[in-house]
Amino acid sequence: MRGMAFFGSRPLALAGKELKVFFRDPQMLFFSLALPLVLVLLMTAAFGGQSRFDITARVVDLDGGPLAAELVGRLEAVPGVTVDLLDPERAERLLEESDIVNLVVIGKEFSERLAAGRAPDIRVRLRGNGDTEGQIVNSYVESIVREMLGESLVVRQVEAMLAEAGLDVPAEEVEARVGELFAEARESPLVTVGEETVGARPEPIAQFLPGMVTMFTLFAISLTAVSLVEERRKGTLERLMTTTLTRAELLWGTWLGNFGRGLVQVVFLFGLAWLFFNVLTPSSFASILLFGVVAVASVAGIGLVIAAVSRTPEQANWIAVFFTMIMTSLGGSFFDTSGFTGVMGVLTRMTYNFWANDGFRRIILKGEALTSPPIVKDMVVLAGIGLAAWALALALFRLRGDDK
Amino acid sequence: MEVRDLHRVFNGTRAVDGVSFTINRGEIFGLLGPNGAGKTTTIRMISTTLPMTSGDVVIGGHSVRERPAEVRRLIGVCPQEIALYLELSALDNLVFFGRMEGLSKAEAVRRARENLELVGLAERARHRVAKFSGGMKRRVNLAVSLMNRPELLFLDEPTVGVDPQSRNHIFDTIEGLRDEGMTILYTTHYMEEADRLCDRIAIMDNGRVVALDSPRNLKASIGDPDEVTLEDVFLNLTGRRLRDRG
Repeated sequence: MRGMAFFGSRPLALAGKELKVFFRDPQMLFFSLALPLVLVLLMTAAFGGQSRFDITARVVDLDGGPLAAELVGRLEAVPGVTVDLLDPERAERLLEESDIVNLVVIGKEFSERLAAGRAPDIRVRLRGNGDTEGQIVNSYVESIVREMLGESLVVRQVEAMLAEAGLDVPAEEVEARVGELFAEARESPLVTVGEETVGARPEPIAQFLPGMVTMFTLFAISLTAVSLVEERRKGTLERLMTTTLTRAELLWGTWLGNFGRGLVQVVFLFGLAWLFFNVLTPSSFASILLFGVVAVASVAGIGLVIAAVSRTPEQANWIAVFFTMIMTSLGGSFFDTSGFTGVMGVLTRMTYNFWANDGFRRIILKGEALTSPPIVKDMVVLAGIGLAAWALALALFRLRGDDK
Repeated sequence: MEVRDLHRVFNGTRAVDGVSFTINRGEIFGLLGPNGAGKTTTIRMISTTLPMTSGDVVIGGHSVRERPAEVRRLIGVCPQEIALYLELSALDNLVFFGRMEGLSKAEAVRRARENLELVGLAERARHRVAKFSGGMKRRVNLAVSLMNRPELLFLDEPTVGVDPQSRNHIFDTIEGLRDEGMTILYTTHYMEEADRLCDRIAIMDNGRVVALDSPRNLKASIGDPDEVTLEDVFLNLTGRRLRDRG
């Protein structure tokens, strides 16, 4: 009979009450649903839609000729590259003091040598290895100069051919005509390299949503611990203890309530992402919900542990905030921690967030199926965390002895 | 109900020190005394929420110490605190606690409506408790404790901080319940309330019962029962006045 009661209507009624209180508490609704949405949108606006890099090429032009100006122009035309023209003395000082890590020095005979079809006078100076920025600048400069040298050689070749054919065409006219042809080729290249992204569409919002969802489910459910401790203070818990409700039913019902709240958050936030941000397909949305059930079941147990160890609502509040921040930072909700090794690697893997983030990201960003081994592993670990938390909460409530 | 030599010690302090009394079926039994006298601790032990250091209580033939689950089926508790969910409506609160007593949803709703009628709040059934006055909250608090139709009802200071209208409503409800045959254990530090409602009264001080009799007999023990008050009785028994009168 007791076993039947455990899964029966009283725990469900308790969970129903928790959800009713949740939906009638504007503060809790704000923290659980509105704030994570606002944060995801803000982070997407701040960090989404950027070019792949944003670098500055520092240039000293000792030549001052037209081809040096052409080089600077072409460098500026590269997406993500900004050119900073410096005078020689200042540039040397900045490089010496490590204030800059790359410097393109266009030599005095650059234009003259290039026009003659000879190797031009140009150097890229790097501080150390020049960092990624210096190496990218070096690469672009080399490529542009080769292109310009090739164009110059073509002009010389055309002039020679015209002379051999006995045609008297002025050199300026040849240079202008060939230059036009190369400019047209640059604007409408015959060969282009297409980009193809494998997996789901990489919307910026998809990068931030999993981390925010795991953080706020943990935060909201941790906060429900505050309300459970508050119940102890205001007497509703003691009143419940004078009814025929058993301790197991009370814990089960409270866990169900936590689970319901977390599930509302997951459905709401990922539902919006699906409907309005086009980051999920019907199939990946279904996978997200199923994975979310396991993740939320895990975190609901953690809420019970916080309630069991807290003596006052204030204490529960601090534990909830502190615990959420630690788990969120280590678990990779703000930045990727999957590369951590050693002690930090172990610590990150001890958090709920690490496994939940990994699963959500695999489904959204990589389009992995729920049955893929890494996601199955995530779910097994999350279920383990949930069971351990449940067992710990039960033991702690028994130890407290302030219930049945 | 029989209370047998009940003791409770908190960190070396004897909060309840050898309390014994019997309450007869259909009686309103008053437990009087100033704050800190041990009334609430006694009620918490009798109502199964606080373990007793020694002694026992037998309710309807069941020992509180040995068979608390059976005892809980027989009792209703109206605590001193407003033990309600303020975000929910009065009806939702009653239905919820009814479900916790094992009632079906339909039965819980039916009883909740009856109880709200009883305490004069049927018109406010759907209103949030947070918006209620202190007296109305006390009436909902009382209505919740009646959801399982208890044989023995514990009322712990049910009129603290309420307006006269709500106080009279609570008195009428309690007298109505007594007329229906319910046994009531009533604690208060308002002597005039006990005088009006209780068939018998136990006066507690420093964790002990210092007198137990009907209000009239208690007053007669020190003078003309029509002239003296229970306050005078308390003064006579303990040598001091109640520490905080309402």
